[in-house]
Amino acid sequence: MPVIFINGEAVDTGEHRTVLQAALANGFYVPHFCWHPELSVVGNCRVCLVEQEGRGVNIACNMPVVDGMRIETDSETVRAQRKAMLQFILLNHPVDCGICDKAGECALQDYHYAYNGEPALSREPKQKGTKFYPLSSRILLDNERCILCSRCVRFTREVSKSNVLGIEYRGDSALVRPAEDRTLDDDPYSDNVIDICPVGALLSRSFLHQARVWYLEPTPSVCPRCARGCNVQLWHRKPEWRLKGLDPAQNTRILRVTPLENPRVNGPWICNRGRDLGEVLERPRAEQALQKGAGVTMMEAIEATRALMAESTRSIALVSSWASNEELRAFRNALGDNFTSFVKPDRLPEEGEVVEDELLIRADKNPNTRGAQALFGSDPPEIPEDADLILVWGEGVDFGRLPRGAKTVFLGSWLLPEVGHADVFIPLSIQTERRGHYTNFEGVVSAFESCQPRPEGVIDAETLFPLLAAPGAWGRG
Amino acid sequence: MTGRKVLTGFEITADSHTLAAYRARGGYEALARALETMQPEDVTQEIVDSGIQGRGGAAFPAGRKWQGIDPHDGQPHYLIANADEGEPGTFKDRWVLEHDPHALLESMLLGSYALGVRHAFVYIRGEYDRPWRRLDAAVEEAYAEGLFGENILGSGFSCDLFVFRGAGAYVCGEASSLLGSIEGTRAWPRNRPPRMTVRGLYQAPTVVNNVETIASVAWIIRNGAQAFREIGTEKSPGTRLISISGHIRYPGVYEVELGYSWTKFLHEDCGGLLCNKALKAVIPGGISSQVLTGMDAKVLTPGEVEGMTLDHEVLRAAGSSLGSGGMIVIAAGTCMVRLLQIMLRFYRHESCGQCTPCREGTGWMHRIIDRIVAGDGRPEDIGTLYHIARFNDGTTICGLGDAAGYAAIAMLDNFRDEFDHYIEHGHSKFGGNLECQ
Repeated sequence: MPVIFINGEAVDTGEHRTVLQAALANGFYVPHFCWHPELSVVGNCRVCLVEQEGRGVNIACNMPVVDGMRIETDSETVRAQRKAMLQFILLNHPVDCGICDKAGECALQDYHYAYNGEPALSREPKQKGTKFYPLSSRILLDNERCILCSRCVRFTREVSKSNVLGIEYRGDSALVRPAEDRTLDDDPYSDNVIDICPVGALLSRSFLHQARVWYLEPTPSVCPRCARGCNVQLWHRKPEWRLKGLDPAQNTRILRVTPLENPRVNGPWICNRGRDLGEVLERPRAEQALQKGAGVTMMEAIEATRALMAESTRSIALVSSWASNEELRAFRNALGDNFTSFVKPDRLPEEGEVVEDELLIRADKNPNTRGAQALFGSDPPEIPEDADLILVWGEGVDFGRLPRGAKTVFLGSWLLPEVGHADVFIPLSIQTERRGHYTNFEGVVSAFESCQPRPEGVIDAETLFPLLAAPGAWGRG
Repeated sequence: MTGRKVLTGFEITADSHTLAAYRARGGYEALARALETMQPEDVTQEIVDSGIQGRGGAAFPAGRKWQGIDPHDGQPHYLIANADEGEPGTFKDRWVLEHDPHALLESMLLGSYALGVRHAFVYIRGEYDRPWRRLDAAVEEAYAEGLFGENILGSGFSCDLFVFRGAGAYVCGEASSLLGSIEGTRAWPRNRPPRMTVRGLYQAPTVVNNVETIASVAWIIRNGAQAFREIGTEKSPGTRLISISGHIRYPGVYEVELGYSWTKFLHEDCGGLLCNKALKAVIPGGISSQVLTGMDAKVLTPGEVEGMTLDHEVLRAAGSSLGSGGMIVIAAGTCMVRLLQIMLRFYRHESCGQCTPCREGTGWMHRIIDRIVAGDGRPEDIGTLYHIARFNDGTTICGLGDAAGYAAIAMLDNFRDEFDHYIEHGHSKFGGNLECQ
């Protein structure tokens, strides 16, 4: 392994092939805009300058590691040049941080304070550009803030391969623009460009002016919308910044979803559907236990279910592939002997959705099919005509096609038509209200945390199943 | 006369550019002989021995560049003649393309043979119409006689030539962005490493040479490296095509033996300055080379430009270079502030916009000089211009960003009093003159 010296310290560069990678991996921070670990090297921002002994200042992102080379990341020359580069970048930048969504997590802002910090040298009027250019129904582009690092262009070429974005015109009039005959709407991964934009040039329409990021905090979670199980961060207001005047639901709402880097699952990307978790999770909730469509207490609903189980001679369970590994184990331990269990898909591909592709999206639109099948087998659901009790866990089952004579118990979270059709309905909590793990299609287990309060009248499946098995547990729980 | 000739040693007539005329001058003999008796390495060695330096601006030894490629490594190689002559003041390659296209073609064949090239390219700027038509006709003539294509002259060596017309961007004259233009991507210069002789056109090892450099190859192979070395000076062998323009009586393209006296060249061969004015300054090699004045402190003690000889070493010692051979003569009474304004407008317009310092710096400098010319200059502007130019140097991807800075620094260094005068009084010391009156 080549050894290089960064600021006088010997560093084993390991697998890293450029000085920038070696420096970052070993705790020497070198600022950079255009370089991104997943994208090709273009070296156009010129901020990652370092000094190589005997060879002067050059960019670290394109400097191959050579055994024994001596690098200074913070010499006098480097500091001066870096400062000058930041002056150049800020020359036509509007510095409208006050109304910019990126403020607080903006690389340009951070670097300005860390490495420049001086007022502008220039007294010339700034180059004007388009504000809020509509790139797609999801993304706006602010050309004035853009520093032309070309990360977004390279993303659409190298990662999502939609080739939508390019750069038009030359010099300080250069602009990022979509190809004439396409929009970013054609790209199912387009929102990643918002994350990788080092400044506030690419803006999410759904998050636009929704919150200042320093009032928010992320909760690690897992996207449930396909079998990839991308690791995500759910952003919501920090508890200490909750506003009493706001509707409490607004205080705990998920304002945006961003990827949580996991090289074994999704790398640093997620698809657009993963960012629209609200489409699924924020559907109207069922928060009332029901018996034949009439409201009952949770205890009555549990007793009714137990009565049905006691009467039944042939019980079938359709297990949810949206349930966490913990819930699935609780079901098997508590009720595994009472039911013949099958794993069913809760959701199928919707119309207009990308069914499967080579990057992330999987055809199985459920997060934990593999985890469920590990416990209950992978046979397709097969309901005998003489079944007299069917427990449906999760959505995706047409009650009209179940055997007519069978009693039905429905465990669900959202206000679906089936809620009233079942003999007993018990409302369950959703993913954001509990902790757990999903096993993705490759067998990688990812954890999700709770970030929202459980509504009154809703029960965790993990708590429910022991109660269905043993009535005495009710008093203790 | 301006010394011995390599490229222009024949009389121009209505059909001197045709294949028949070229053959009558001994054309394609070197090719036939090389294919028969020389190995590819021998051709390269001959070029190395000749000591010819690149004629495009950087004066890098052409042979050393060629040695970067192993003709037998089994992968495709490319040879590209850079005819995207975009440097303001330069129009020398045009002469070769118009009057002696076959010298270029024969040299391309020799180069392709030396470097193991199957497909060679000529990248010609879009604005060049007659040069392109002459070159295209010459390529057709050569194909008709079996000089290109499969099994050339029965030697087993095959080579095809593509003439590629650019669309008129200065930056495409930069060798690596020229590759992008041919590949069909945005013509943006590429980072080094890797060098182009490692990964160039279509990711294959590539040599890009200036038209004048390549066109000399045929002469060198025909007459031998020793004969070439005898021309010019010891360190700068050969000749340069100089395209001279500006306030000079007989502007045009001259082939000048390196080491030729500057005084004789300006005052005898080119007929002296217009209106018999005194010489104020010379931009020796396109606007990206540093301007020299009659009283330049950096020129060999108190000597003058006119005491110098024309070769790379002397000009380098004087803090400038022969660059692309586009010499611009500036007579006394010219406003250098306006001249710098024009130069900076050019750089701003032609900056490709890829890397930060050049994209922002050229625009910034142009806005400042525009304001100075409009009469709103501030004393601190000079310092800001120096600051921008200084940090453009060495921080950009390609050399064009550096060059914008060099041009500005040299102008400010040499004509500081004019800039101070303009800023102080709000108008030019010389009435904003750019013409010779």
